[in-house]
Amino acid sequence: MRLLIFLARRLGYSIFVLLGLSILVFLIARVMPGDPARMAMGPRAPEWVVERFRAEMHLDKPLYVQYYYWLRDALRGKFGLSIFTRRDVSRDIGEFFPATMELALFSGIIMGLFGIVLGVISARYANSWVDNSVRVLTYMGVVTPSFVFAILFLLLFGYVLNLLPTTGRLSPGIPPPPPRTGLVTVDSLLAGNFTAFLDALKHLLMPGVALALGGLSQEARITRASITENLQRDFIALERSQAIPERVIMSKYLLKLSLIPTVSILGLDFASLLGNAFLVEMIFNWPGMSRYGIHAMLTKDLNAIVAVIMIFGVIFIIVNIIVDLVVSWLDPRIRLGAERAK
Amino acid sequence: MKWSRVLLIVMLALGLALGLASLGTGEAKRALRVSFAPPLYTDPAVGSDFVASTTFANVYDSLVYPTPAGDVVPAVAERWTVSPDGLTWTFYLRQGIKFHDGKELTAEDVAFSLERLTTIGEGYAYLFQGITPQVVGPYTINMVLSKPFGPFLINLTRLYILNKDCVMANIKTPGPYGAFGDYGKAYLLTADCGSGPYKIKEVRAEEYALMERFEGYWAQTLPNVDELLKVKPKAADELKFYLTTEPVTIRTLMARQELEISDQWQSLEAFQALDAMEGVDVAGFLTGTSFYLMVHTRKAPTDDLHFRKALAWAFDYETVVKQIFPGSPQMIGPVAATLPGHKDVFQYHRDLAKAREELQQSKYFGQLDQYPVEYHWIAEVPDEEKVALLFLANMEEIGIKVKVVKVPWLSVVEEMASMEASPNIVSVFVAPHYPEAGSILKSRYHSESAKTWEQNEWLLDPELDAMIDDAIATIDREERFAKYGAIQERIMELCPSLFLFDHLERHAYQTYIDWPAAKGIVNPVMGYDFDARQIQILK
Amino acid sequence: MELARSAALSRRWEKAKRLWYKFSRNPLSILGLVTVLLIGFVAAFAPFISPYPKHAGGYVNFSEASKPPSLKHLLGTDVFGRDVLSRIFFGYRFSLMMGVVVLALVVPPGVTLGLLAGYLKGTWADTLIMRITDIFVAVPPLVLALAVCSVLTPSVFNAMMAVSLMWWPWYCRMVYGIASSLRNEFFVQAAEVTGASRWHILFREILPNCYAPIFTKMSLDMGWVILIGSALSFVGLGAQPPTPDLGTMLADGAKYMPDQWWIAVFPALAIMIVVLGFNLLGDGIRDMLEVEEV
Repeated sequence: MRLLIFLARRLGYSIFVLLGLSILVFLIARVMPGDPARMAMGPRAPEWVVERFRAEMHLDKPLYVQYYYWLRDALRGKFGLSIFTRRDVSRDIGEFFPATMELALFSGIIMGLFGIVLGVISARYANSWVDNSVRVLTYMGVVTPSFVFAILFLLLFGYVLNLLPTTGRLSPGIPPPPPRTGLVTVDSLLAGNFTAFLDALKHLLMPGVALALGGLSQEARITRASITENLQRDFIALERSQAIPERVIMSKYLLKLSLIPTVSILGLDFASLLGNAFLVEMIFNWPGMSRYGIHAMLTKDLNAIVAVIMIFGVIFIIVNIIVDLVVSWLDPRIRLGAERAK
Repeated sequence: MKWSRVLLIVMLALGLALGLASLGTGEAKRALRVSFAPPLYTDPAVGSDFVASTTFANVYDSLVYPTPAGDVVPAVAERWTVSPDGLTWTFYLRQGIKFHDGKELTAEDVAFSLERLTTIGEGYAYLFQGITPQVVGPYTINMVLSKPFGPFLINLTRLYILNKDCVMANIKTPGPYGAFGDYGKAYLLTADCGSGPYKIKEVRAEEYALMERFEGYWAQTLPNVDELLKVKPKAADELKFYLTTEPVTIRTLMARQELEISDQWQSLEAFQALDAMEGVDVAGFLTGTSFYLMVHTRKAPTDDLHFRKALAWAFDYETVVKQIFPGSPQMIGPVAATLPGHKDVFQYHRDLAKAREELQQSKYFGQLDQYPVEYHWIAEVPDEEKVALLFLANMEEIGIKVKVVKVPWLSVVEEMASMEASPNIVSVFVAPHYPEAGSILKSRYHSESAKTWEQNEWLLDPELDAMIDDAIATIDREERFAKYGAIQERIMELCPSLFLFDHLERHAYQTYIDWPAAKGIVNPVMGYDFDARQIQILK
Repeated sequence: MELARSAALSRRWEKAKRLWYKFSRNPLSILGLVTVLLIGFVAAFAPFISPYPKHAGGYVNFSEASKPPSLKHLLGTDVFGRDVLSRIFFGYRFSLMMGVVVLALVVPPGVTLGLLAGYLKGTWADTLIMRITDIFVAVPPLVLALAVCSVLTPSVFNAMMAVSLMWWPWYCRMVYGIASSLRNEFFVQAAEVTGASRWHILFREILPNCYAPIFTKMSLDMGWVILIGSALSFVGLGAQPPTPDLGTMLADGAKYMPDQWWIAVFPALAIMIVVLGFNLLGDGIRDMLEVEEV
C-alpha cells in the first residue's frame, strides 16, 4: 500500500517535471534561428514547396498552437516528422533506441558491479597497497572524461593492440540475429547464435567500459568511504566482540548498510552516463539514439531534438524511482515518499 | 570473499568470450558495397544528392541513359523527334519493359512520374518546371517545353520513371497532395516502384541501404539495347550502400574487404592511409565539379573590382593544388576544364607586386583595417579549413584582414539566401546539373540563382543574364558553345570569384573490382559512375 | 589602535597558517594547487612561453604538417603544420576563461535563488524556484547544454551561455539544502526578532554558513565546466577553429587516428590534467574548510 502511494505520488510529480521539460525543450527548439522548412526542402525547392511543408509541420502557426499540436501527438507516441530522415521521429527512435539501451545497460551493470566490488576490496584491505592503488586509479577515473577514455581506448585496444573492433554493434560479415528485444547480445543468445553474441559483446566492450569508468570510480570511492565509516560504528564493534567472523559481518550487516549512499548516487551517475553516451556513441559510431540526437542537433532537426531529450527525461525519472525503491529496500528506516536529500 | 569470486568469474567469462569471438567468420555472395554520406532519400521526387542519384541510377530507368562522353543513348525511349521550334519533343517507348512487380511500363507511367515530380517540387524537380507531358498512345508521349532548351535530352536522364499503380497502391491519406494523399512519399523512403536492374530490399536510416538484382531486367532480353544498359556478367548480386563516412569505419571495412568503394569525403590523410593498404587503390577523376571562393560583389570591401583583383593575385594557388588538394588542377576560367563548352580564358597566379598594385587602386586602400574580409567555410568539409587558413595567411601579407568562420552547411545555405547576410567570401564546391558549361554559368552567375547557395557573388548583371539565357536556348551545339566562350570571358573581366581548382573526386576501391571509372571511363552525370550493372566483382 | 590592528592581523595570520597547515597535510592537495597554478601560469604567459606563439591562430605551413613529436615540436604538429604544444598552452587560456566566466555567471543567481527558496521554505517562492530547478535537473546537464548550443551559432560565448543556463540549478539546490535547515536556527531567529531586513538575514546570517560548500563546489566545478566546454567543442558546437580549444583539437585529431595519434592524445591528456588539478584542489579546500567549520 505504502508502495502504491509512493508510486502514485512520484508519477504525478514526474508528469509535472516532464511537462515543464517539454515546454523548456520545445521553446529551445522553436526559437532556433533559421527556417527549418527551407532547410528541409533544400535550397533549390521553389517557395510554394517550402510553404506547403511549413503548413504540414504546423510551423506557420503561433508557438502555443504548435505546442498544442506537439503535445497532442506526443501523448499518442508520435513526435512529428524528422527533417533529416523525413520519417516519423518515433520510427527513427524505435530503430535507434535499442542500441543505446543495450550500451547503457551494459555500461550501467559494469559501473554498479565493479564499482561496488572495488569499493569493498578497497575498504577490506584499507590502507594496504591494494587500497592505495585502487584509490589512485578511481581518482583518475573520476576526473577523466569518458570521451577521453574513449579516444585512448580506441588508440590502444583498437589500433595498437588491434584487439577490439572500433565501430558499430556487429562485425559486417556477421548476420544480425532476428530482432526480438533489439539488444543484439540478448537476441543472439535467444537465437542460440553464439558467434554473434561474442561479436556483439566485443563491440560493446570499449564504449561500455569508457562510459562506465567515471561512475564506476565514483561508486568505488563512495562504497569505500561508507564502509570505513560504518566500521567504526558501535554495533559492528559489538559484533566483532562477539567473535562473529569478519566476512559474515562484512557481507551480512555491513555491506547492505554501506551500499545506501552508493545506490543513491547511482541514479546521478547513470544520468551522466547517458549524457556522455552522446560523445561516446559518436566516437565508436554506435548506431544509437545519442548519435541520432547529436546528428539532430547538428542539423537542427527540431522534432528529433525534442523527442530525444524527452526520452532521456523519462529514462532519468524511471531510474530515479528504481533507485528510491532499492534504497528503501536496503534501509528499512528510510520511509518511501520522504523527500530525498539531494 | 564472495564478491571477489564473482569478479573473478566475470573476468574469466569475458576473457573466454573474447577469445572465442575471434574465431568466427562470415561468408558473402557477390556484393558491391559503397559508402556514402547520409541521409538517403530513395524517392526520385525528393532526393537529388550524390547517394540519391546513385540509387536512382541503379533502381530506376529514364527515357535516355547518359554516356561517358556527355551524350545520351536510347533507354526506355527507343527513339525521339523534336519539332522545328524546339518546343515539342516526341518519345517512342520500347515495348515489353517490366517494372519490378511485373507490370508493363507505358507512357502513362512516364506522364505520372513527371507530374508527381513537379507537383512535389523537391529533388530534381527544378530541372522540369514548365514541361507538360501529353500521352499520345500507350507507347508514345509528348513533352512540351515553355521555351527552347538546348541541353534538354541530357536533363531527361533525371526523369526517373515510377510505376503508377505501385505508387497509387501505397499512398497514405490524408496528405498534402489532395486526392494523391502523400503521393507515396512515406512508402518510397524505404521501397521502390522502379524498373531498374536493382530493387530496394531494405533501408535503415543513417545505417545502410540494401538492394538486390532484379532478375527480369528488360535490357537483358529486349533487342537493340545499348551495351551501356546491360548488366555485366560479373556484376554484383547484392548492392549495399553504407550511410557513413566516418573515417575509422571506412578504414576498418576497407581493410576487411567488406567495402568495395569508399565515399569521396575522406581526408587526404585518410586516402593516403587507404592507398597504403594491400589490394586497395585510390581512383581520382575530374567530374566537372569545381571549387570556388565566391566573392560578394555588392558588399564592402569586396564590392571594389581592384580589391577583388588584389585578392586574386595574392592567393597562393600552387600550395592548394600541390599540398591541400594534390591532383586537382587549377581552374582556367569559371568553368571546369573537363566540362563540354569550357574555354581557356585566363588563369591567375600568385604575384604580390600585382596584388599590391591593384590594392592601391582600390578605394579601400589606406583604411584596410576597417574593412576585414569575412570568409566562411563549410564545417562538413574539413579540408576547406586548410584553404581558409592559407587565404588568411596570404592576405595578411598584403595587409588585408580576414576573419575565418566555420559554418555548418545548412546555415551557409540560409545566409546565402539574402544579400545582407551573405559574407564577403564563401568557399564552395559546385557541380554542374547537366554536363555542359551552360549549367555552371547559369547556376553560378545568373541573377535567378543569386539567392541560392550556388552564387554568393550577387552579380545581378542583366547583360550577363541575357547572354546566358540566349546561349542555353540555342539548340545548335557549336553555336551554343561559342556563346558559352564569350560569357566566360565576360565573367573573367568582372573577377567575381577566385577560381581555385577542378575537384579531383577520390574514391578508394578494392583492386578485385573492375570499375570503369577507375580506368578513366568517367560518366559526367552524377551517380552513374556507381551504376552497379557496369562494375564487376572479380573475387 | 595600532596594537589592536596588529593583533587582528596576527590573528588572521594565525588562522591562515592553520588553514594552510590543514590544506598542506595532504600532499595531493599540494599537487592540485601546483597543477592549477602551473596551468594558470602557462595560460597567462602563453604568448611568451609557447615555442611557436603564432601557431595559436590561423597559421599554416603545410611542409611541416603532421610531424610526430620531435625536439623541434615536442608534441608534434597537426595537419596544418602547427605546433601542438603551443596550441595546448593557448587552449588552456580558453578553458580557464570558460570556467571563470561560467562560474561568475552561475554562482550569484544560483546561490541567491537557493537562499531565497530555502529561507522561504514552504511558500510559493520556494515551490516556484525549486520546481524550475527540478525541470533543469531532469536531463543530463551535457544533453541540455548540447541542445541549447545547437540552436545558437556555435561560438565560445554561446557555449558559455548554454553551460551557465544548465548549471545554476545545482548551486541553487545545494544552497537550498543548507538554508532550509538553518532557517529555524537560533541565530536566524534572533536576527528576525531584532528586525533585521530579509537581505541582511539571507546574505549576512545564512550565506556565510554556505561558504565552505560553495567554495569547494566552485573549485571542483572549474574542472567540470572546462570538461563540458571541451565536450561541446568536441562535437563542434563550442569554440570554432582556428581557436586553439582543447576539445576542438581533440575532435580534429580523432579524425587522424591512429597514424597521427599525437594530434588527439596530447590535448586529451591536457584536459585530463586540468580536471585532475581542480579536483585535487577542490578536495584540499574541502578538507581545509570542513574541519574549520566544525
